[in-house]
Amino acid sequence: MAKQEDAAPKKQEVAGEEQTRAGRTFVPQVDICETPEGLWLWADMPGVDDKSVEVRLDEGVLTIQGQVSLEDYENLAPVYTEYNVGNYFRRFSLSQDVDTDHIKGRMNNGVLQLELPKSARAKPRRIEVTVS
Amino acid sequence: MALFRFSSALDPMRDLIALQQELDRFFENPRGLDLGVSGRGVFPPVNIFSDKDGYVIRVEIPGVAPDQLRIDAEGRTLTISGKREDGKSGDASFHRRERDMGEFSRSLQLPDNLALDRAEAAYQHGILTVRVPKTEEAKPRQITVKAA
Repeated sequence: MAKQEDAAPKKQEVAGEEQTRAGRTFVPQVDICETPEGLWLWADMPGVDDKSVEVRLDEGVLTIQGQVSLEDYENLAPVYTEYNVGNYFRRFSLSQDVDTDHIKGRMNNGVLQLELPKSARAKPRRIEVTVS
Repeated sequence: MALFRFSSALDPMRDLIALQQELDRFFENPRGLDLGVSGRGVFPPVNIFSDKDGYVIRVEIPGVAPDQLRIDAEGRTLTISGKREDGKSGDASFHRRERDMGEFSRSLQLPDNLALDRAEAAYQHGILTVRVPKTEEAKPRQITVKAA
């Protein structure tokens, strides 16, 4: 893979959504890909562990949230900063074809990985044509 | 009249807003220190802090295995490099592809009161933390006053 030379975007703040907790909240970068079996989603949320991540699916809306801990910053004085620190929030509208009972989630090394299998009727089916 | 300038460690920051404002104040502002941070604006982003023991460097680089991270120390320069790869390939079609991937390399030139040979690195929750302690000579000493 070619070496990254172009600029990485700064963290985007969540717009248009007010959180009850004070402080800026950021939009995690995601990769979403589709296979015949379903959707896969990866969200970068560095600083978030499996206890502070929350994933909800309500009425076809997928919400992912992550909390970061401030304890890691106690007694530290900034000298040079390129990124800010804050909680994460992002929302997606899913098509209705997700098998909500079988969604799997994993949180590892700051990456949330979601597997959203398609419901049976949404999977591409081959219809047998028989000669009668 | 002499003007003393004390650089005190920040009070424990409990408030998220206070932390975010502090990080904003130092945004890309090395405060006169010539840190020579290379590749600014390229992933992964780097924050540099100091505490009473030395420097603490944080890099946000989620989703790599620790053995894919390489930290080299030479003279006063610390270089953090590695490669991040994504998981899926084959018969997948991407709806969105936002996460930074690929090879990366960031170099920092640290002040010379730090002992780079005693640096320690840890990777947790997608954040790499490198602690570089002050050299023995640089540690604050208290000078006793003898009665003459």
